[in-house]
This record gives sequence, structure tokens and C-alpha cells, in this order.
Amino acid sequence: MSKSVEEKILETMDNLNSDKYPLKQYENIGKRGVRRLDGYEKASGKALYTVDVQLPGMLHMRFLTSPFPHAMIESMDTVEAEALPGVRAVLRYDDPELPETADLGGHAPSSIPVLTGVAHFEGEEMGAAVAAETEAIAEEALRRIRVEWVERPFVLDTEEAIEPEAPLANPDVYPDGNYYNQGMLDMDELGDVEKGFAEADTVLEFKSRRRLHTWIGPERPCGVFRWNGQYPEVWVKQQRPHICKRVISSWFGGIPMNRIQIHCLYQGASFGGWSQMPWNMGGHYCAALVARRTERPVKWVFDRREDFYGGQMDEGVYFHKVGFRNNGEILAVEVRAIMSNLLFPVFAVARHFIENTRIPNVYGKTEAVQVNKGVNVPTRCEQASNVSSLTSVFGRVAEALHMDPTDLALVNDGADGHDSKWLNDQKKTLGFTVRDSLKECLEKGKAAISWEKNWHAPGKRRLANGRMHGLGFAWTHEWEDSAGSSEIAIRLERNDGTATILGMRCDNGVNAETAYCQIAADELGMKVEDLFYRPHFDPGFFAMTPDSSTNMSVNGFAVRNAARVLKSKILEAATKPTGKSQRGSFPAPFEDCRPEDLDIRDSVIFVKKDPENHMSLADLVQPGGAEGPMCHSPEMGKGAQRSNFAPPLFAHSYQVQQGAYASYRVRFCRQAHFMEVEVDSGVGRVFVTKVVNVNDVGKVVSWEGCEGQQYGGTYMGVGRGLYEEVIHDPVTGVMLNGNLIDYKISTLNDIGPIQTELVESGMGYGPYGIVGIGEDVATVVPPLLGPAVHNAIGVWVDDFPITPAVVLDALGKG
Amino acid sequence: MESDKTVYPCPYCGESLDGYDALKAHVLSSHKNEDLPSPEGEIGLKINGDAYRLRVEPQWTLHYLIHDLLGFTGTKLFCDSGACGACTVIMEGRPVLSCMALAIDCDGYHIETVEGIAAGEHPLIESYVDHHAMQCGFCTPGFVATGKALLDRVPDPSEEEVRTALAGNLCRCGTYPQHPKAVLDAAGKLGASGRKEGWNHE
Repeated sequence: MSKSVEEKILETMDNLNSDKYPLKQYENIGKRGVRRLDGYEKASGKALYTVDVQLPGMLHMRFLTSPFPHAMIESMDTVEAEALPGVRAVLRYDDPELPETADLGGHAPSSIPVLTGVAHFEGEEMGAAVAAETEAIAEEALRRIRVEWVERPFVLDTEEAIEPEAPLANPDVYPDGNYYNQGMLDMDELGDVEKGFAEADTVLEFKSRRRLHTWIGPERPCGVFRWNGQYPEVWVKQQRPHICKRVISSWFGGIPMNRIQIHCLYQGASFGGWSQMPWNMGGHYCAALVARRTERPVKWVFDRREDFYGGQMDEGVYFHKVGFRNNGEILAVEVRAIMSNLLFPVFAVARHFIENTRIPNVYGKTEAVQVNKGVNVPTRCEQASNVSSLTSVFGRVAEALHMDPTDLALVNDGADGHDSKWLNDQKKTLGFTVRDSLKECLEKGKAAISWEKNWHAPGKRRLANGRMHGLGFAWTHEWEDSAGSSEIAIRLERNDGTATILGMRCDNGVNAETAYCQIAADELGMKVEDLFYRPHFDPGFFAMTPDSSTNMSVNGFAVRNAARVLKSKILEAATKPTGKSQRGSFPAPFEDCRPEDLDIRDSVIFVKKDPENHMSLADLVQPGGAEGPMCHSPEMGKGAQRSNFAPPLFAHSYQVQQGAYASYRVRFCRQAHFMEVEVDSGVGRVFVTKVVNVNDVGKVVSWEGCEGQQYGGTYMGVGRGLYEEVIHDPVTGVMLNGNLIDYKISTLNDIGPIQTELVESGMGYGPYGIVGIGEDVATVVPPLLGPAVHNAIGVWVDDFPITPAVVLDALGKG
Repeated sequence: MESDKTVYPCPYCGESLDGYDALKAHVLSSHKNEDLPSPEGEIGLKINGDAYRLRVEPQWTLHYLIHDLLGFTGTKLFCDSGACGACTVIMEGRPVLSCMALAIDCDGYHIETVEGIAAGEHPLIESYVDHHAMQCGFCTPGFVATGKALLDRVPDPSEEEVRTALAGNLCRCGTYPQHPKAVLDAAGKLGASGRKEGWNHE
């Protein structure tokens, strides 16, 4: 009988057995000062990115973009563009070889026009692509394309788009209205919110808004496509190279996966964003066609402005309702949100109330509406809506009760509608030492920000410099889950006994590859410098990548498991005869030992009871042979030069393991963030003077890596919360600030000191009890500005980013 | 009949000559002790100590020349509008945004890229590695070049001076707190090795 997909998934979720198990002793895991593998390459400029790739004969491709937010091409004249010297190909939207739709990437398999004749946002790549000897010639050719446009009505604003008479953003696909995602809405339900509101002492309702912001990948979207004979070789700026391979294999009537060669070089990060855009492989499709026609490699590239179309998926309006008792117990929360341009997926807005608190009644509903702007996708990260709901609701309740918000968090900590006692029972069930993660985070954070001294009633503390002082606090649960699988191989190098970890690369700078080496070193008993991570893109080496909310918690398992298998094979080999033949046999290196009698430390195998009896891994694997693996037989004659060769130790030199899946587990670890601000209420400007991030990461693998995500996320988060907004002209629908002069991101001196604190409760779902950290801070810090600014000025600001105009509006000075 | 050749004014006496060949002949005969002027669009510059002589189009940026044509790919283009510092190179001792500099204006200049800084084994490189002053790494070379230009000028800077020097470099990953640490650490190493002055200068 065939099993359902869900049954098959559940079978693999063996988290009762795979979650915990710390090592008795850590050498490299959690050690400071381990040299990062990418460090020299990146500091010296030697690190290559896709945009740096140049190939012999390579053409440069640029795309026509729509000048209108919603328009159709009536006719297009490309004669003048084609005639420009240096132009080698002009691909038109009506080219007979272009399919109507193709799988062009995105979060899931897609069916999207490759080069559309209808634009649904200003700046959309469409109509034509030009390949020329230089990028400048391609751009000049684009200017020579004459287009007759039919403009269509457009809508930009989320709330306007749901009005019955609103212009249709995409009438060809959604002729009945802009609520285009029937069946794609996200619902959360726990208990009965109406009952909860009825039992509450107080019920509050409020609305908030999050405006469009985006990822700003330092490296622009780009790619290179070359046909090596019949088969493609592709350089992708993509955080999910395995998906690129799947996508390309569906083109041109099908290309076997094993004939497609992918190179995923270093990534100028896009924080998930670009890699999940629905059209992100569209450039490659056009490049593939042109490369085939011209028999030359083709590099396509966006300009800086073109990377601004598309954004983070929390753009929208939120309606919150919360009921609570006078003692701080929250009884019911309801959040309804209308989000803009979420093609897929649509995420929750109230789930953290379920996963993170004892609140018994929760209702969340996310609906998506289409507007004529770029698509919004998960961008560090999709939990933003959940976190902002949690932060603003808890802030409102604390204020209403005149309660310290950290106390309110403790009162309501729990999970799945149950209190912390129940949560502690769950920790025991899984075999963890019970620790109160939230309490530990609060203790560290409150001490670091001098909470008891600095906390005050909202709007009550004016500083000597005339500004209002504010202190804010936000909390949530562990980040994110380990919903993924991973295949990692580790093998010993012949000759020197160093070990190579093979897995997919998607480097966004979180220092994951070094951390994998730290795990493998501790598991194998090797020196960390004897480990190296070698990126490998064959489909046999799927791995979770840093874009996908999880890497260490999944790939860490796979590395750990592979290392354990390899270690057992090494010890087995060390205790077995190395060879037997009619001409003689060769004793085991540790002849009288069993594998369990041995251990490895600092890349040396030794007898536990007699450490003086030892052998290095290099000596164990022995030389690979002066002539490589060629083995001369003794019959070759006495004068023959014998190759210095030792046969392989194992029947299998690759250890490929799956990672664990634990997305269904109750969340035990907590994160807490604190912020101090000063607000100039005369001009509405907010100054962030101090931030304290406390993350219970379960177990630290790389201190520097974790801290980098904390201060790095803070800089990004403060920008998102205070000044990052993609602005469109309401009259023309044209983006007004698609550049880094008008769109502000944080600079070095924009924020006061950032204090990073880590808690190691060991209760995470990953190997050694770890949880992720990379997405937490940049997602929690933007809404944290809400309570911080409220504490300063005594008025809630519910419109993000909190620009000076928003503050002045809130103060009634707008 | 009007000449179809470009008119070249003599840089030494101002006389207008029809075409580069006429100018060359004129300088050889009338200004024997002077250097020959370059033909239109030809520039000579030194990059990391090596001399290059090549013809450039007037609209080419210095970044296009060094990154796309000469293969110094360490110098990155991020904002393409003079707002982020990722494309910083050192020109005549000063940090310059190569996306905003025209190659044709760089005739006769000495330019140092991140590759040159690394080849000179400047302690900044190891300090950047040690302090994890990078994540995705795309903006890192611009920070390194800016920091190097500062240390050339101010070998023993205060943290405030470092922060001011780096204030114009954008890092989307938010690695900012590590950069002053790395630059100050490198300054300390330079001081300890007695190599404060004239590091890697010709």
C-alpha cells in the first residue's frame, strides 16, 4: 500500500532520537579564533562572484524594461537596434522559439512567460533582450527599440486594491478582482477567540501598516550561460543552485540533470530575496536561447535600479485585536492581514502567538492582494509578519496594564496554548535538562541595557539634550526550523589524511563552511585545519542553503552523521589487516585492538589505554602512489620501479547522510532584544543609541558567526524599521528611489553600540541542541522600534518605517 | 577642403595640428625635450606598480577599465552611483570611487587596487580575516582600500578617525562594528613592525 506524502515525511522525523546528544567535550565547536575559510579570498578581492565571470567570446545581455506600471506592447520595432554595430542578437517577446511559459524558478516550480508582452509593474523585464559585444552597446540598442504601448489602469496601494471598483492589477489572470490567491490564504486557529474576548477584562483593537522595503543585494542579479556542445554550463547568482538545475532540466524538451553543470560562486547576498523571485531564471532562459543561436556564451545582468523591483513580504496592513486579564494573562489574539504581491507562499501573521505563548485562543488570517509593483518574497525572513504582530500586541497590552513588558512576556511564555510548566514537561520528554530560556535571556539582556534603571513610563523621560528617551523590548521563539534535508560527504584525502567535506555551496557570508569543519573536526577527532569544505553541485549533494531559513540545523546534522560514519570506518580499518594474499598478509596498524579500543585526537589515532601507541591519519591512509592509483604487480620484474601505493581503506569513500527534520517539534529556545532610543520630537527623528541582542542559540558552533548575525541583523533591522522604503509615484506608478542615494540603508555610524549576548541552553532541534540565528535579529529589530519609540514619546507609531514624518504624524504635528 | 582628422592642439604651444601624426611630428621638431603627447583616448597609468598604456573610450569608467577589461575583479560595483564605496581604489594616495572616475582622466596616475594591497602583504588583509570583517564579502575590498588609504595617510589613527574614514562605505550584511577593529589592529601591526611610513609606495 502506498503511503501518503505526509506519512513518508513523518517517518523521517525521528527527533526523539536525533535532537540532543551533546559531545562530552568540545574542542573546535564553540572555539573562538578558528580561521574562516573564505576570509583571505574575500579580504584580498580574490573571491569571485558571478558578476565577475568573463569567458572567451562572451556576449552581454540586457533587458528592455517597462516604463509603465501596467501596459501592453501593441507593436515593437527592433530594426534600428539590430543594425547597431556590436549587436549580435535581439530576442523579441514574439519570437517563435519562446515558449508561452516555462519553469523559471521562484519558491516552487513555476509556469511563467519567459519574455512577456504585458508588464505588470514599472521596471519589469519584458518585451526584448539584446545581446551585444559590450553591456554599453546592449543598452544603446535597447534605447533604439521603438515600442507602441497600450497603457492600462494600475493600482499600487494594498487597501485601494481591495476596493470593488479598484483597477485590476492583472486582469488576464485574475479578471474578477485583485484578491488573486484563492486557496493560497494562510490561516491559524487555536481555541475560540470570541470566547477569549468575552472572558477578557480588556479588549484592544488597532491597525498597523508595513510599507515596501527590499533586500538590496550588493551583487546585482546576473548569470552566464554557455553551451558546451549539447549541454549547458551555467553560472548562477542563486542561493539554491539545486533548484536552478531542476529548472534548466525542464527546458528545451528536457535536459538530463547530469548533463547540466552549475557553478554557484560567492554570493553578493540577497538574503533570500532574489533567489525566490518567480522570474529569477528568466534571464538564463533568454541567455540560453541567444547563446545557442550565436554559439557564444552570454552573460545577462541587471543594473542597480532593476534589483529594487520586488521586496520583503511583510508589506501590507494588519488588524489586531487582543483580549487580556488584569493580571497580564492574554486570553485571545486575532490578527487579520492583507498583504501585497505575495505570489507564493503566503505566510502566517499570528503563528508566533501559538508557537511561543500560552495564549489559548488565537486566530490569524493572511490574505494577499495584487498591486502593480514587483513581487514580494521571503527576505530574511518570512516570519516578519508574525514577529511584528507579537511585538506590537505585547507592547499594547503592557502599556494598558502599566506593566513591565518583560514581566508580561514571562506571564505568557509557553507553547501551543499551554503554560511554561507544560513546556517544561515537553523538554523533559525529549530528555533535555530543563532550563527557562526566556528568563535566562531576560536576565542577560536587562543587565546589559540597565533595564531596571532605565525603564520608565512612556513619554516621561526627557534627556538633557532635549530628546525623549525610550527603551524597548521584544521577544520571540527560536529561529527557524530544521525543515529540510541535506546530503554531505566527507572523505579522507589519500597521501596526507586531511579530510574534505563535499556539499553544495551557497555562501552568503554566515561562515557556515568553517562551522561545518568545526563540527567534523570534533566528531572525527581531527585538527580543524585538517578539514576543508569543497563546494560540489551535483544533484547527489543536495544541502539546505542559507537562504532557506536553515543551514546549520540541517547541514550540521548531515556533517555530524557523515563524520561519525567516517570515524567508525577509520577505526575499523585501523584494526583490520590491510591486505591478504597468497604472497603474504599485512597486519593491522593496531593489530590487537578492536575499534572501540581506539580514538582519534588532533588527527592522530591512539590506543585509549596506551596513548603512546599511536599513528597519524596520514600514516594510516598511506601514500596514494607516485603514479596515482596505478598498482604494479610484483610480476613486473625486479628492475621495475614499484609504485609507492596503498589501496583505498574503504569500500565506500563517501558518507552521504540525511539531515534531521524537526519542524513539528515544540519550540523551547527564546530570543530577546532590547533597544534604547532618543527621539527628537521637534523634527521626528529617531536615534538608536544602544541595542542588546540576546539569542538562545542552544549551542554556539561559531561565536564570530553568531555575533556577526546579531550586529549585522541589527544594522539591517534598524534600517528597515526607520528608513527603508521603496517609494512609487502614485500618479505614474514609477519607482522613485531605486538607488542607494535615495533609498537609505544603515551606515557605520547610524547606530550606537550593539551588545551581543548568547545563551546556550542546549534545547534546540539541531545537532548539539543548536537553533538558527541568521534570520532572527534582522526580523525582530524592525518591530522592536515600535515599543522603543512609544516608550520615548508616549504615542504608538503603527506605520513602518518610522520616518520623521510618521513620528510627527503620531505626535499630531504632521 | 576641411580635414576629416581630429584636431590635436599642441600641449606645449597651443598650435592646432590635423591629426595625431601631425602633432607627433610637430612635437618632435619644435619641442624636442618634451614628452610625446598621447593620441586621442590613449592613457598611461600604473596599476599596483605595473605600467599600462591603452586606448580608452571617453565614457568608460575607471571601474570598467580595471574590473571588466584588465581583470582586477576584486574592485566591486555595488551602487554604481558613488554612494557605497565598494569600488574604492587608491589613486595617488587618495581613496577614489572607480565607478565615478572616468578612465580617460586617469592618465599618468598611480592606482592601487585591493589585489595590490594583498600582494604587498599589507597587515589589513589578515586583520580583516581575524576580525571577521566580512560576510558576503562583496563590499569588503572597498573597505580594505579605504582603510589602506587612511593608514597610508594616518598610520596611527584614532577610532574616531577610522570611523570617519569608513563612514561612506556601505555593507548590507552589517559587518560595520568589525571594520574599525580590523583597521586599528592593522595599524598596531604596522607600528610594531616599524613599517608605518610609506607602506607599499613606489
